[in-house]
Amino acid sequence: MSSQQDELKETDTEARFEFKKEEKSAFQTEKGLTEETVRVISEDKDEPEWMLERRLRALEQFQEMPMPTDWPGQPDLSEVDVDEIIPYIRPDVDVRAGVDDWTELPDEIKDTFDKLGIPEAEKNALSGVGAQYESEVVYQNMQERWEEKGVIFCNMDEAVQEHEELVREHFMTKCVPPSDNKFAALHGAIWSGGSFVYVPENTTVDMPVQAYFRMNSEGMGQFEHTLIIAEEGSEVHYIEGCSAPKYSAFNLHSGGVEVFVGEDAHVQYSTVQNWSKNTYNLNTKRAIAEKGGRMEWISGSMGSKATMLYPSTILKGRGASDNHITIAFAGEGQDIDTGAKVYHNAPNTKSTVESKSIAKDGGRTNYRGLIHIADGAENSSTAVECDALMFDNESTSDTMPYMEINESKVDVAHEATVGKIGDEDIFYLQSRGLDDDDAKQMIVSGFIEPITEELPIEYAVELNRLVELEMEGSLG
Amino acid sequence: MSTQAIESLSEDTVRRIADERDEPEWLLETRLNALSALETAELPDVIQTPGRRWTDLEALDFESLVDPLNQSDATERTVGDDEVVVLPFTEAFDEYGDVIEANFGSVLDPEHNYLTALSVALFTTGTFVYVPEGVDVEDVTVRAEMNSRSLFSQTLVVAEESSSVTILESIESGDSEAAASEGVDGDRYFSNLVEIAAGENANVQFGSLQNLDDDSYTYSLKRGVTDTYATLDWIESNFGSKLTRSDVETELNGDGSESQIVGTFFGTEDQHFDINARVWHQAEHTTADLVTRGVLDDVARSVYEGVQDVGNDAWNTSSYQRENTLMLSDDAEADASPKLIIHNHDTEASHSATVGQVDAEDLFYLESRSIDSHTARNMLVEGFFVPVLEEIAVDEFRDDVEELVFERLQ
Repeated sequence: MSSQQDELKETDTEARFEFKKEEKSAFQTEKGLTEETVRVISEDKDEPEWMLERRLRALEQFQEMPMPTDWPGQPDLSEVDVDEIIPYIRPDVDVRAGVDDWTELPDEIKDTFDKLGIPEAEKNALSGVGAQYESEVVYQNMQERWEEKGVIFCNMDEAVQEHEELVREHFMTKCVPPSDNKFAALHGAIWSGGSFVYVPENTTVDMPVQAYFRMNSEGMGQFEHTLIIAEEGSEVHYIEGCSAPKYSAFNLHSGGVEVFVGEDAHVQYSTVQNWSKNTYNLNTKRAIAEKGGRMEWISGSMGSKATMLYPSTILKGRGASDNHITIAFAGEGQDIDTGAKVYHNAPNTKSTVESKSIAKDGGRTNYRGLIHIADGAENSSTAVECDALMFDNESTSDTMPYMEINESKVDVAHEATVGKIGDEDIFYLQSRGLDDDDAKQMIVSGFIEPITEELPIEYAVELNRLVELEMEGSLG
Repeated sequence: MSTQAIESLSEDTVRRIADERDEPEWLLETRLNALSALETAELPDVIQTPGRRWTDLEALDFESLVDPLNQSDATERTVGDDEVVVLPFTEAFDEYGDVIEANFGSVLDPEHNYLTALSVALFTTGTFVYVPEGVDVEDVTVRAEMNSRSLFSQTLVVAEESSSVTILESIESGDSEAAASEGVDGDRYFSNLVEIAAGENANVQFGSLQNLDDDSYTYSLKRGVTDTYATLDWIESNFGSKLTRSDVETELNGDGSESQIVGTFFGTEDQHFDINARVWHQAEHTTADLVTRGVLDDVARSVYEGVQDVGNDAWNTSSYQRENTLMLSDDAEADASPKLIIHNHDTEASHSATVGQVDAEDLFYLESRSIDSHTARNMLVEGFFVPVLEEIAVDEFRDDVEELVFERLQ
């Protein structure tokens, strides 16, 4: 790759998100996806037999399932050719399960993460950071005091070895089986890396746990798996951030997230996604909440060429609750199709969905959501609110909610609005001495503020910065 | 081939229907084209989510439902003013053949789907309404009774520049004993296509009331287009039928034109309503308002889809949609999907949908005023329909709807 890009100045803000590194991998599977590929991945990771079997079964399901093409208005996936994706790349690092000290990392990788500000984030008292460079988690650190309480935060490959029973019980079984959809099956066959979080009973992890994923090789897919188990009465906040540099060939990200929210436990899962604009971001994220459990999904979707992401929660136990907050921002050539799914399967369950989307320069946003209230889930309530902002006439803003109500003792409400940036608001701000760009930026910041204020400060800052980058120089 | 072939259907069947009605050649051709379109046409789109198909049209057994050559109806058409033409097609061809030919199928493509093609190929009843330029008519009513196993109806409304008309149609089942004596029993099928062309500055209100027996299946697709400054208001009331699929659609093609779609339904026992309201904004300064309210009792089920589609050229659009479902029984089910498709940023659009039951506090209030709980509930249900009843400008029609609501509450 070009060495010029390595020399981009740190002050160049845009470069912060677009630089890329020379590929230097110890091991690279052949292009394309065969049983052989899957066996090689599993063998290279020295996995137990049951995991290999699960991978092979998922591969079979993947090959049987058709591409999803019949969703109304769905993003165009015709360019997604799995054979072109190199599913597994392990960076050239001696240690398989990562290193514990930042300074041990090769300079090149360290440099990449430095530009993204990962060590700084850690310095700012995050309780643990797992940074995934390509497919292996190369850096892991969990503050000792959490380890003493029995909290586990490690990379998923390590968890397969060290916490085999927990993983075997929970990994793509009850929550996201590979049969869920074609890309979940693909994920099940070739997943690699990701995080495993285990919080024991009645333990509160009062600082956010953070992981950062990054794709750096052309034509590479990233298939990390995150498994979070929060036992009864526990509490944890997991943060995931993604960004990838630009490449000409397309990238595929197909992650899997499974969250088990125990009785009266509380899990918050926050994502700010800024994949490069040639990435297909097709994820499956799901949580199961037991009695009194509480799940919160906070997602910012800024990047990617096309995103199809609908974090879902199954409210399985009485009194369980769910809260979704999503922001989608689609600029030129982007199709961000995102939303929320909630299944109310028990009485007294509650869900709220707040969605804000912004479409500009020919981008498309779509809120696609499903609320299902099962027969017998009495006294359940749900409120969905979608607001969309449009900048221009080339853009598209869709809202496609689906509600299935099989129970009468419920309170169901859905509301959506779409509007443009008000000329009067801009005029007002300009009359106070702001130029057009700043005025629009300010209005957008105000529009998404109800959501950014729910985010931890580091993420709110990053999200705002990304929005600013998106807005810069593109407004007339 | 998406659906079953119907054995009793052939070119010969269609020719016999056209012959008996002494139809012009172009219409026979339209019918025959529709017939051949059946080979490739698909059933209307039905929403499907993981594990749930909202309405199962494929389960309909058209072979036993469709009896093309024995269609029978009793239709009464009344007109308050003789400036407007309200006739069955067969009586209108001589004088208005050109108007009919120019407009028939221009708003609603006969080959739109399997059920529209079937309907155009086989229709034997329906009405042609022609409102010449500047004519203002208040009460056109078309009251029809269905007396056969299947009945296909086709209605065309042409409202010329600056005309104004209010049309009410109703369909119910004829005397069931009389029908039984003719050998008609078991499941029945009613198909109703309506197309409306509202000219410049025209004002059309079209009300429809369906109250067929509960052994009937109903398919209804009503579509209108508006020219500049035209207003097209629909009222779609569904009370009868075991299964109803109803689509009401407006294409706002003229600058400054408006459309309102008001819907009501009331399901009891195992009735299934699939109600759809759609509007396409395709010109500047257009306004749409979609309002649907429905009540479900027993094991009744409703499916609602509302679409507000704002095109690229639809500057300064206002578009609103509200849907509310009231559940009176634990075993009722309601699915809803209000959709916004927006391609122009100069738009003010909103939609909302709710599902709930009778408010416990309201009930308590009424009971504390010594009204028994059954009466109190009924009062609240009647009250629930008030916002849509208020949209119905014609007293006669409003009374009919109120009466049917009342009947179901006994």
